[in-house]
Amino acid sequence: METQFSGYQVQTEFFEGPLDLLLHLIRKNKMNIAEVRLSRITSEYLSYLEGKRGINPSRESEFLMTAATLIYIKSRSLLPKPEEPGEDSPEKRLIHTLIEYEKIQKISHLLQEMEYTELLLWRRLERSEDFANREYELKEVSAFQLAEIFFDIVKKKENEQFLYIASKNYSIAEKQAEILSLLESGGFLDFTVYVAKLDSVEEVVVSFFTLLEMVKRHLLVAVQEQLFGTISLYRNEAGRLEN
Amino acid sequence: MSNDTLIRRIALIEAILFVSKDPVEPARVMEFLGIADIGEFEALLAAWEKEYLQERPERGLLLKRSGGGLQLVTKPELHDELKRFFTIRQAAKLSLASLETLSIISYRQPATLAEISDMRGVNSTGPIKSLLQKKLIKITGRKKVPGLPALYATTQEFLVYFGLNDLSELPSLEELTELFEEKEQPSLFKSES
Repeated sequence: METQFSGYQVQTEFFEGPLDLLLHLIRKNKMNIAEVRLSRITSEYLSYLEGKRGINPSRESEFLMTAATLIYIKSRSLLPKPEEPGEDSPEKRLIHTLIEYEKIQKISHLLQEMEYTELLLWRRLERSEDFANREYELKEVSAFQLAEIFFDIVKKKENEQFLYIASKNYSIAEKQAEILSLLESGGFLDFTVYVAKLDSVEEVVVSFFTLLEMVKRHLLVAVQEQLFGTISLYRNEAGRLEN
Repeated sequence: MSNDTLIRRIALIEAILFVSKDPVEPARVMEFLGIADIGEFEALLAAWEKEYLQERPERGLLLKRSGGGLQLVTKPELHDELKRFFTIRQAAKLSLASLETLSIISYRQPATLAEISDMRGVNSTGPIKSLLQKKLIKITGRKKVPGLPALYATTQEFLVYFGLNDLSELPSLEELTELFEEKEQPSLFKSES
């Protein structure tokens, strides 16, 4: 760990949000949250906002919203209207939120400490460079992505010269049986490799429709491991039971 | 039990944990080894942990219980050197926003995005997404209010990540206050003069 870890210190350029800034001001002025007079720290809050000190630019609207609440609270406190007992004033509500938020901060710091201790312990298949950058999640691909790859392949096939001796008729049923037997032996099918091996555009078209049909009937799952990567086809075990 | 059996059992447990990526349920190991008494099993683990791992400076591993399971982990003092060997610059730590979001979910689960954002005072879509991706939280259902917002809860991975066996190991809010009262710091922000 490069940075020295000292307790639950917060290391951030920005305040996480308006509540974070308010709590900071309360602590700075050594006030007790439960008895804090928000109207007293309003001007300080506004000066932070004006000078954009520690204000995360992408969170500015949220800081402004709280500023509006603070000004409203201040304006209310200036009016000689006696506060009705039991009334849920905006000040009380904000203080309640602050008290809750302080708890959240404490839990966060605790979690941070726990994370720190745990990160010292290395586990299997973790945090080595190879694994750190690896995306484990396989994304299911849509028919559109399959179609895109299909047109790519057809284009390649078009440029090839074929010598037709006899035309063969392909049926979806035959293709399905063929694909299933390939899956049975290989476990999975690389879509690009499979289609590249086919003899004619006609066969590619029939194969592709068969694949789409099988995906639609949940016999197959089409999975793309990375963006623009090849698409692998797996048997859908759950679908197999249904059909 | 003969000493040979003991040694054999320890060797087996070590081998099973070595191969496993995720924490292994103790019940499964017990059943496999034919141990019915949890006390006996715990004594076996304790003996192994102490005599064969902890007290052996030449060993690089420790037995860790997290997420309710058993796991082999490296000794903490090896961290820096391991980092050097695997050329890792900085362990990917969670952002403060993610930690805050997790704090709320871990104590108030299941919680909705609106509840979390409200408590944090900022929109929390970002951290929710990143926590879902890291599998530290999951959607457990939908709240029966207008819009049917998703309800988020912590996962098994959350427990393992923070070295917990179950959520009850997190201190209560009262304990938490005491925990931090002694350590209260004058200022949390260095930049402040």
